[in-house]
Amino acid sequence: MTTEAKKQIIDVGDGAAIPRKSDRGLFTAWRIAFFGAIGTLTYLAYTKPDPYLNILKFVPDGIMVTFQVTLGAIVLAIVLGLITGLGRISKNRLFNGAASLYVEIIRGIPLLVQIFYIYYALGRIVKVPAILSAIIAMAVCYGAYMGEVVRAGIESIAKGQREAALSLGMNGRQTMIHVILPQAVKVILPPVGNEFIALLKDSSLVSIIAVADLLRRGREFASESFTYFETYTVIALIYLIITLFFSKIIGVMEERVSVNK
Amino acid sequence: MKAIRIMAAVLTLGFCFASAALAAAPAKGKTVTVASDATWPPMEFVDANKKIVGFDIDFMNAVAKEAGFQVAFKNTAWDGIFAGVEAGQYDAIISSVTITEERKAKYDFTTPYINIGQILVVPKAEKGTKIADLKGKKIGAQIGTTGAMEVKKVAGVELKTYDEVGLAFEDMAAGRIAGVVCDEPTAVTYALQKKEYSSKFKIVGKPFTKEAYGIVVKKGNKELVDLLNKGIAAVQKKKIDAQIKKKWQLK
Repeated sequence: MTTEAKKQIIDVGDGAAIPRKSDRGLFTAWRIAFFGAIGTLTYLAYTKPDPYLNILKFVPDGIMVTFQVTLGAIVLAIVLGLITGLGRISKNRLFNGAASLYVEIIRGIPLLVQIFYIYYALGRIVKVPAILSAIIAMAVCYGAYMGEVVRAGIESIAKGQREAALSLGMNGRQTMIHVILPQAVKVILPPVGNEFIALLKDSSLVSIIAVADLLRRGREFASESFTYFETYTVIALIYLIITLFFSKIIGVMEERVSVNK
Repeated sequence: MKAIRIMAAVLTLGFCFASAALAAAPAKGKTVTVASDATWPPMEFVDANKKIVGFDIDFMNAVAKEAGFQVAFKNTAWDGIFAGVEAGQYDAIISSVTITEERKAKYDFTTPYINIGQILVVPKAEKGTKIADLKGKKIGAQIGTTGAMEVKKVAGVELKTYDEVGLAFEDMAAGRIAGVVCDEPTAVTYALQKKEYSSKFKIVGKPFTKEAYGIVVKKGNKELVDLLNKGIAAVQKKKIDAQIKKKWQLK
């Protein structure tokens, strides 16, 4: 099999830069930024406990909410993305049309507007807790982007693979599950990781609908202590540490997956 | 012919400059930029013509007239409105700002210009009449307001902060929170005067805090505080503030 020759790398997105062993510059930049951020935060908390340590004590439940929203939304978005991606390449006109329409509509509306819309629209119809509304809103948005990633991933698999599987007597469904998707996963993993980090950062938008995430907790602290500069310094550093931590994990995962047997 | 045209153009231009200069001339005194979070009816809000209106706006204009300066209003989000005055993005804030010790430590205030109290708004079916009756439930308030601070003081209730108080009322209409705490005039506007909400909400109890609004300026800007205080004193002496109160149906 000569899939290597045809292998495409989808490397676009607004997540963090993923440190790869081959990119020495980024690798050291990651180290400086990650340990620098942790060092700065520790130094500030130690030398100026008021307000820095107070801020750090105030926000942990916000970090948990940020994780909850991000993890909930990414799981839901992957499911939605898989369905949408399969829909986009489906020969079934209804399925294809519905998936395409979903992608078209969602990608044309700013995430912030979607969050407002879904939050208040859901509020009119069903009684959903704020955090679940936030997760649904984020997932609906990212599901559309994820759908495009899945579609591109599947399309990147050489046609010969599908033809070979079909000639071996597999049906379309078996071909997709046993031959195409396992190979596509390798290709789509980096962009999915990228989407995950983008989603983590975008989850700060849910603070607008009064979900008590990291940003909201920071804003609450700042609005009563008037330490705006100090608070947002801490909030920015915490976000930076979290995204850099995950970008590293994703980088490692990518390497594992890309090792060809 | 051509020369005449050029002369005419020059003359027209000249007139333009002259009239602009004339128009600017009668505006004596300096212009003070004032920030206001226009999401707090009837004190400050944006009307159908996209103009900032309300009690505070009329009051500020009256103060300016008495003290002899010009006002330029700047609609600013509440969250961060104090940071803006500190950074010098505007000179003052008139935005239903309660004078508190914490705020006084960081910013300078004028003399108080109106007294107000916090009050609780709940859905019609609610039996509780004070914050402590809503133990185990969520109560909404605008971020960084004295209303939010009052909710925080009560153990057992969860405070949920909103960027705008209107979003808190909408969330209560959706059943996500059990109460909203805000200044009484704003509570009256939302709970009793807004068509969508008057059938759903009620105001319970009496105002449970005694607060006074002041105009905020940057710490140490004594010149502006004195100017504003002069204007406020004149407005109060002439009872202009009573007329403005009447206009906005305030007690």
